[in-house]
Amino acid sequence: MSDEEHHFESKADAGASKTFPQQAGTIRKNGYIVIKGRPCKVVEVSTSKTGKHGHAKCHFVAIDIFTAKKLEDIVPSSHNCDVPHVNRTDYQLIDISEDGFVSLLTENGSTKDDLRLPTDENLLKQIKDGFAEGKDLVVSVMSAMGEEQICALKDIGTK
Amino acid sequence: MVKRREEEWQRYYAAWPLKRPVMAKVVSDYFVRLHSHNFAWIHSLHYGVLRAHLYFRPTAPAHSTHHSAVSHLSLAVPSSATTMYQAGYHQNTAPPDMAQLQATMRSIELACSSIQMHANPAAAEATILSLNQSPQPYQACQFILENSELANARFLAAGAIRDAAIREWSFLETDYKKSLIRFCWLFIMKHAGSHEGYVQAKVASVAAQLLKRGWLDFTAADKEAIFLEVKQAVTGSQIVDVQYMGINFLESLVSEFSPSTSTAMGLPREFHEQCRTSLELDYIKEFYCWAQDAALNVSHRIIGSDSAIPEAKVCSAALRLMLQILNWDFKGKKNAVESSKRGLDVYCGDIKPESNFLGRSECILVQPGSLWRDVLISSGQVGWILNLYGALRQKFSCEGYWLDCPLAVSARKLIVQFCSITGTIFPSDGGYMQRQSLVQLLSGIIQWIEPPNAVLKAIECGRSESELLDGCRALMSMAAVSTPLVFDQLLKSLRPYGTLTLLSVLMSEVIKCLMENLSEEETWSWVARDILLDTWTALLTLDSSGHNDLLPPEGISAAANLFAIIVESELKAASASAFSDDNEYDYLHASVSAMDERLSSYALIARVASGATIPFLTTLFSERITRLHQGRGTTDPTETLEELYSLLLIAGHVLADEGQGEIPLVPKDIQAQFTDVVDADKHPVVILSGSIIRFAEQSLDPEMRTSFFSPRLMEAVIWFLARWSSTYLMPPEENKGNKSGENNNDAQVRLEHSKNALLSFFGEYNQGKLVLDIIIRISLTTLVSYPGEKDLQGLTCYQLLHGLVRRKNVISHLVSLDSWRDLANVFANERGLFSLNAAHQRSLAETLALSASGMKTSEASNQYIKSLTNHMTANLAELSCKNDLKHIAQQPDILLLVSCLLERLRGVASASEPRTQKAIYEMGFTVMNPILIFIEAYKHESVVVYLLLKFVVDWVDGQIIYLEARETAAAVDFCTRLLQLYSSHNIGKISVSLSNSLLSEADTERYKDLRALLQLLANLCSKDLVDFASESLEAYGVSISQVVFMGLHIVTPLITLELLKYPKLCHSYFSLLSHMLEIYPEVVAQLNVEAFGHIAETLDFGLHHQDGEVVDLCLRALKALASYHYKEKGMGKVGLGSHATISKDPGGKVQEGVLSRFLCSLLQLLLFEDYSTDLVSSAADALFPLILCEQNVYQNLVNELIERQTNQMFRLRLTNALQSLTNSNNLSTTLDRVNFQRFRKNLHSFLIEVRGFLRTL
Repeated sequence: MSDEEHHFESKADAGASKTFPQQAGTIRKNGYIVIKGRPCKVVEVSTSKTGKHGHAKCHFVAIDIFTAKKLEDIVPSSHNCDVPHVNRTDYQLIDISEDGFVSLLTENGSTKDDLRLPTDENLLKQIKDGFAEGKDLVVSVMSAMGEEQICALKDIGTK
Repeated sequence: MVKRREEEWQRYYAAWPLKRPVMAKVVSDYFVRLHSHNFAWIHSLHYGVLRAHLYFRPTAPAHSTHHSAVSHLSLAVPSSATTMYQAGYHQNTAPPDMAQLQATMRSIELACSSIQMHANPAAAEATILSLNQSPQPYQACQFILENSELANARFLAAGAIRDAAIREWSFLETDYKKSLIRFCWLFIMKHAGSHEGYVQAKVASVAAQLLKRGWLDFTAADKEAIFLEVKQAVTGSQIVDVQYMGINFLESLVSEFSPSTSTAMGLPREFHEQCRTSLELDYIKEFYCWAQDAALNVSHRIIGSDSAIPEAKVCSAALRLMLQILNWDFKGKKNAVESSKRGLDVYCGDIKPESNFLGRSECILVQPGSLWRDVLISSGQVGWILNLYGALRQKFSCEGYWLDCPLAVSARKLIVQFCSITGTIFPSDGGYMQRQSLVQLLSGIIQWIEPPNAVLKAIECGRSESELLDGCRALMSMAAVSTPLVFDQLLKSLRPYGTLTLLSVLMSEVIKCLMENLSEEETWSWVARDILLDTWTALLTLDSSGHNDLLPPEGISAAANLFAIIVESELKAASASAFSDDNEYDYLHASVSAMDERLSSYALIARVASGATIPFLTTLFSERITRLHQGRGTTDPTETLEELYSLLLIAGHVLADEGQGEIPLVPKDIQAQFTDVVDADKHPVVILSGSIIRFAEQSLDPEMRTSFFSPRLMEAVIWFLARWSSTYLMPPEENKGNKSGENNNDAQVRLEHSKNALLSFFGEYNQGKLVLDIIIRISLTTLVSYPGEKDLQGLTCYQLLHGLVRRKNVISHLVSLDSWRDLANVFANERGLFSLNAAHQRSLAETLALSASGMKTSEASNQYIKSLTNHMTANLAELSCKNDLKHIAQQPDILLLVSCLLERLRGVASASEPRTQKAIYEMGFTVMNPILIFIEAYKHESVVVYLLLKFVVDWVDGQIIYLEARETAAAVDFCTRLLQLYSSHNIGKISVSLSNSLLSEADTERYKDLRALLQLLANLCSKDLVDFASESLEAYGVSISQVVFMGLHIVTPLITLELLKYPKLCHSYFSLLSHMLEIYPEVVAQLNVEAFGHIAETLDFGLHHQDGEVVDLCLRALKALASYHYKEKGMGKVGLGSHATISKDPGGKVQEGVLSRFLCSLLQLLLFEDYSTDLVSSAADALFPLILCEQNVYQNLVNELIERQTNQMFRLRLTNALQSLTNSNNLSTTLDRVNFQRFRKNLHSFLIEVRGFLRTL
């Protein structure tokens, strides 16, 4: 039950500020943006005009931070876009269960067990190997708009 | 039209094959004759080959030489080698030589055809390469050239001869070298009529390259012998193909000797330069005469016959060669010196000095010097070539000749080239002879372009445009060598009007043509327009002395008429394109920032006639504005807006120059006119400027803004204001003329008066302040009322505002303006401007901070900076103290706030000046802690991390040299903590993402971070070079060098090999490293084993980097290390101590000392690997101290090298070369400048001597 409670809490926390409005013109390359309801990272911004004497509009090319799908959007640069609240938290890895879930140690000492192992081969191998070798591993978990994923891994020294 | 041209081409090509069999017979006949004539010559050739064989055989039995050649090939390609063996085996009845040659030929032929068919290309390539790289492949290659049926194989064989001979040149016998060249020459003569022209061309170029390679070794008689043959072929022969080939050979020779087109030979630049000079002095004029003779001899036959004859080919080749020679970059410095010694004026008469055309105009000035006078000028060549072309023009209707036939093209090009002859070739007769020559040329050329409308009509109906274009080019060449007055006079002797009028009419017609075909892609009219514009530019640009004749009145009105047509066409183009938005990035848009060259040329034309053109622009402008107001609310203003946009750009270019960082003056042509204007407010320039500014001011009215001032129009307004204000707004007092007036003639006084009236009208004490206020209010409007218009706001920030604060007399008024205070207030205390693009915010912050120096006292300036930054630093500090920072930090709104604030602080930091330094230091000091907190909180947000690092980099850069010791200690401590934190967050981190582009983004971000960190270290370094502090740093226990080494130690593990592939990072890393090693070798000696090992590895890596600059940096570092060690040792100290001696690494492996390791790898690099010859000098500088440090190791290496050499002759050469490397030139064992120089020389000659054979064997 305690797991579920924790789960619920974090959901509520993220849900309180899923997205923020921000003027399209201020969103830069490498910033975040919501396109078609997905949190994305911007990889390209270009501006153009609607007609010679019209107003500027921004053309975004962005990549979904969870699925890696490419998405595009055109917004008048004075209008607002939604920007997702992307959070990254570090946890220490304590266990890998056989059904593909990881067990993580949170800052306040409780555990977080609802996260699947990543699908990425490279990271998966590194986590499994490192864990098998008894290394102290810290994983960074990226969360945005109610989704979570492991996004980075760091070895903080052997036990 | 295109179709017709194609047909003509087909006819042209069809004409040739018919004549080939005939020619082949003629050629072979010729060779019978040639052989009998030159029996002795041929004989000596064979003798040479024979002797060469004898010379190389004795070292090994004949059989084994061949065997080794085969095994060499077989090593590379087993399959082809087996065939060779078999071939040799089956044909053992034939002399072994022949069989061998046959086999090689067959394997090469096989390789050629398999490459063409893409069958096992790698193996084929290896076979071909093995031929190129095998020692002495000449016999085989010659065999292939003579016997192979396959043109490709012959081509490759020729290339192989070239490669091998260049490589082995230093140990080939002189006779053998000559025989190779003669072989090539005879080959092209013998096969002059061959179908595969490319093989002949290749062999000719091989001959040319070999001749050049031996140019300095061969005696004059050797060269004479060769050139006698060439001359005979070119001028004496009656056989078209032989003449043609001879001319071709000269063409490749000249291009080989001309530095820009020469082939690399692995020799120092001096060699190429010597060859160039020698050819220029002794031969090139002769070549020209031969070509001319050849052309002369055939030209009467061409003129005389009614249809195309084969001689045309020779004639056009000869003309091409003449053109090529005239394109030669004549140095002829001696000529200039000689003539000035004789007391002649080099820059005679009306002819412009050469300096003002260097590097600008497309047209190359031909300045062969006085020695060429007889050939080019006095001999009447101009008349001849004009006649020839004139006769050709009559024939264009005939079979075989047309406007673009090769002969016509080369003749026209040569005529154009004649137009640009200038310099000491003409006697100093006040330019009389040059004028005569130009008039003569013009009389011929004028037929190509006159009457302009008829010529253009004909082109539109399908005639080729090349004659017109060449005519335009000729005009440009003439403009380049004469002043406007002379240029105008040229035509007066032929026509009732001047050349300027012709130019103006011609260009107007071209522009009308352009206007009619706006949408069409008919490029010839564009080309013609551009050439003619360049012609005007050449005429109207001030020369270096600033002296410029005014045009004659007729010329001025021609220019005014032309400008009117130009503006008309531009406006027409503008309104036509108003609704098309497909070409968003077209030239007009680009011109705002890129300062279109074309508009500058238009402006030159407008300025010479500014009396007429500026009022004309004013009229056009007010017409458009009236139209705008009349149509308000009823008609769509877009077309008018676009026209206004164009007009603003044109007016901006006409009225003012681009400052390029300097304060531009009022253009001379504008200053010089309007002498009769008494009242400043009636001055046409003031009227035009005033009406534009009044129009711009209307943008402040919200209603007007929404209806007329589109972002695009506003861009033009801002651009105009920026450009205009840097010339006319509050000009510095010293720009005004001297009122005392030394030469008090009336015209002078009136000129001064009108100029001063113009300058002071917008000056500080007149309308200046008012206009400045308007400009600032307009700027604020573009920043606030055009949300998201990045381009417009960029122009405002970078061009307009930035330009204003760069000027002292402007800022002192600026800071007292209410509008400026409003801007600063909105920026510092309101959130509105957070919506600006981040880079723009940074620039705005810098601008505002820079204006602080307009304050009267230093206190006021510092106070101003404080009030500007207080709010921002407090904001950051407050945020960093929040308990829930970790949770809120990544909220988008907080992210945006933090990045904007950091960008702004960075902008302020980069505005550091001595006067405001205190306040800016305070600002940085306040945010030190918050920055360390943020770098923790945002460790996953690379964008913010980068901003944090960049702020620190810029802040340290601006501050470090001014800081007192205590402040420095604080700053250095802060930087160290920053580095440590960054490293602890990033070392061993692996980021993953499903998306490759996101991963590579992450790489790029990491690269940018590291570059910033290296910059930071480099900035810290500068404290040791320039320091304004009052007390020394040592008192506080801070050593900059130690800190930087520690920083390097922290940063180095983060730099991966992948990251070093970014050239900028690689450069800054290695330059920092080599800087540190050069300046502080003693600190290196104190490093621990691990840190030192890291540095040594890095250097070793850098030494083998592809980038020459990186290698150079590493060599400099090595030089520093070795020199330090050697000098210290000499004084009885330890030097690098344990690092230099043999030591054991932690794994127990015995490692050599670092210096001997580098000695080995440097020698290896120099002798066996590829590198640019530019590096040899710095390699010598590193090698010399290394040898001195490790003499025993060096001796061992040298012995080993000699041992490995099995060939006795090579061994001897190597031994001698090594001997003289360390002993010749009085080299001693002290490390001083002289010795380094001597060693450099020694190494150069050593490498030339031995690299050829060391690398092949």
